[in-house]
Amino acid sequence: MVHKVLVIEDEELLNRQLCDMLETAGYEAVGSLDGVNALLAFKSFNPDLVLLDIQLPPTSGIEVCKEIRALSGVPVIMLTAKTDDEDVVAGLEAGADDYIFKPMPSFKVLQARIEARLRPKPKPEVNELVIGPLVIDVLGHEVRRDGVRIALTPLEFNLLQTLAEAPKQVFKREDLLKKVWGYHYDADTRLVNVHVQRLRSKIEDDPDNPKIVVTERGVGYKAGQF
Amino acid sequence: MFARIFSNIIGAFRRSIQLRYVTMTVALSAVALVAVGGFLSISIGNGLFQTRVQQILQESRRAAVDVQNTFNSSGATDVVSLQVLVNSVVPNLEQNSASGSRRVALLRTPNQATDQFLQSPISTTLADSDIPLSLRTKVAKTENRLIYRTVNLLVAGVNQPTVIVGSKMSIPVAGQYELYLVYDISDTQATLDFMQNTLAFGGIIMILLLGIVAYFVTGRIVAPVEKAAEVAEALAQGSLDKRLPERGQDIVATLARSFNKMAQSLETQIGELSKLSKMQQRFVSDVSHELRTPLTTIKLAAEMLEARSSELDDKAKRSLDTLISQVARFESLLSDLLEISRYDAGAVTAEIENNDLKTVVQLAVAGLEPLAESLGCELKVKAPKAEVMADLDRRRIERVLRNLISNAIEHGAGKPIVIEVGQSKTAVAVTITDFGVGMSRNQMDRVFDRFWRADPARKRTTGGTGLGLAISLEDTHLHHGWLQVTSKQNQGTTFRITLPKKKDGIFTESPLPLGETLSQRKIE
Repeated sequence: MVHKVLVIEDEELLNRQLCDMLETAGYEAVGSLDGVNALLAFKSFNPDLVLLDIQLPPTSGIEVCKEIRALSGVPVIMLTAKTDDEDVVAGLEAGADDYIFKPMPSFKVLQARIEARLRPKPKPEVNELVIGPLVIDVLGHEVRRDGVRIALTPLEFNLLQTLAEAPKQVFKREDLLKKVWGYHYDADTRLVNVHVQRLRSKIEDDPDNPKIVVTERGVGYKAGQF
Repeated sequence: MFARIFSNIIGAFRRSIQLRYVTMTVALSAVALVAVGGFLSISIGNGLFQTRVQQILQESRRAAVDVQNTFNSSGATDVVSLQVLVNSVVPNLEQNSASGSRRVALLRTPNQATDQFLQSPISTTLADSDIPLSLRTKVAKTENRLIYRTVNLLVAGVNQPTVIVGSKMSIPVAGQYELYLVYDISDTQATLDFMQNTLAFGGIIMILLLGIVAYFVTGRIVAPVEKAAEVAEALAQGSLDKRLPERGQDIVATLARSFNKMAQSLETQIGELSKLSKMQQRFVSDVSHELRTPLTTIKLAAEMLEARSSELDDKAKRSLDTLISQVARFESLLSDLLEISRYDAGAVTAEIENNDLKTVVQLAVAGLEPLAESLGCELKVKAPKAEVMADLDRRRIERVLRNLISNAIEHGAGKPIVIEVGQSKTAVAVTITDFGVGMSRNQMDRVFDRFWRADPARKRTTGGTGLGLAISLEDTHLHHGWLQVTSKQNQGTTFRITLPKKKDGIFTESPLPLGETLSQRKIE
């Protein structure tokens, strides 16, 4: 199956270069040069993954990311030349699953990140998981709370599923990076922090006082005990 | 104890100009008052005393003459009537005193040719021995003159200031006698004492008042100076908006105005400079960011070409290699520039965790083994068996170590590099020693400068940016640690990084000596 990648990057040459390389690597790639066209392209092209430049005129990449998230849970990887913490965190909070700095170490690294996002989860052992008030339908990729469906991105779903599958285990941030993001090297643990926050804001009664995804101080996260 | 109080007082004197001036005023006025008071007291005392003595002498002369006349005119010659006459002298004179009580003694001059047959009358509260012998001798030898002496007599256990006046008497038939009139002058002494006490009391009050006046006067003068000192200190600490109050037209107000003008221009200039500096930092940061996107494009394009390098001829391949290596250098230069600009903007925070420094060193060494091997140089690590735990930002310290080790490899002339890890109670340290070309004193002084290179023409095998050591120094300072270097030309160089064990901990000494490995090697 050929995966479709939408490249949203205002720098024309870089956009074309990325598309060329993605196509050479066996993807179907479409480039978009600004935020407005990007959303139209997103709707018509229906990509499996989005590469998104954060500094995008006229609307910023962060806005585009939020709009894409409103439409779908498709994996979004931010491309950013800004290495400051606030920029990275702002992008992740807008709903990006992952980020990569410009210039990336190599195209291979970028490709590895894309693959990690597109890799299908191994077949689950159970069909349904329960943490407290949440019912996780693993096959149907759905989460219900008191019968009401909660919209999670695939990444958030994976995160919740990983925690729920081993309810007694405390996961270190590095472990989660490996299991959920598919990283096998030292990466930024802020990815985990930001996504746990986003997940909590969707599933918890009181995100400031979480019961379902519990922080184990100095170690990591685990599923809450009910 | 006393030494401490003393040093406290000395300290207070050094610190407080007001205390010094008040003390000085009090001391000087005390000296002046003691001098004036002393002079007054002495001259008044003398005056009082002389007047009293004159009065006593007059009285005594009259008495003496009366007594002599009584004897001369009595015509008594028998012992009994003479004794009656003599006995009447003492009560008579005791009563007829104009100036209070006086005591009387009529004593026979000793060692006369004739025998004594009259009793010598004497006041009941007086004894022969109260009259000093020297006075008696003098009186016995002196004709027609009163002799007086001031003495203290013990009366009822109290010392009484007394004037004794003596004169020679000749009593018909009975021979030569001496009449002594003893005057108590303690009332004069009391007057004098009262006056002196009043003077002393007045003087002390005066000194206290002067002290208080001096305190307020100096306070008025010192207060603005103290305020100025306080504001100047605040300015020096960086509170550039502090100003002095400007009141009135006097010299203090002028000082305040000039001071404020100075502070204003200081604030303006510093503000200007920091604005410029911020703009510059911003510019460097923007430039590094702006260059990232085209750099990404170039890099990806080169990567694409590299994937097809088999289709290129040798010359084109060499060009491609150059392109790739220079893009890599450009990239590390950009990221170093960005890192330095972050430090300059003060936008760097360390992610401090308790880590084993040995692990960090091993990671850094492992990362550089390939480079060391390719240059044929050996990396020797000497570390204690125990864990070397310290609060540090692992990423930054690993970067510092990587940078120091790769510098050592680069300048080590292929000889082994010695990396030592050490710890004390308060600090941990790593030294990195190479035995290569070394540096001169001048080079050593500049080694942490930005873009400075020991040898501008040197081979850039590792693609150094010239910012590595500057960043390492900033990383070390972020941990409140030391980064030091020592070097000997043609013998080698040692870098030593020392970090506190606990975050914000204080250490005074590095656990590892700087430069010992270098000199040991020389002996080998």
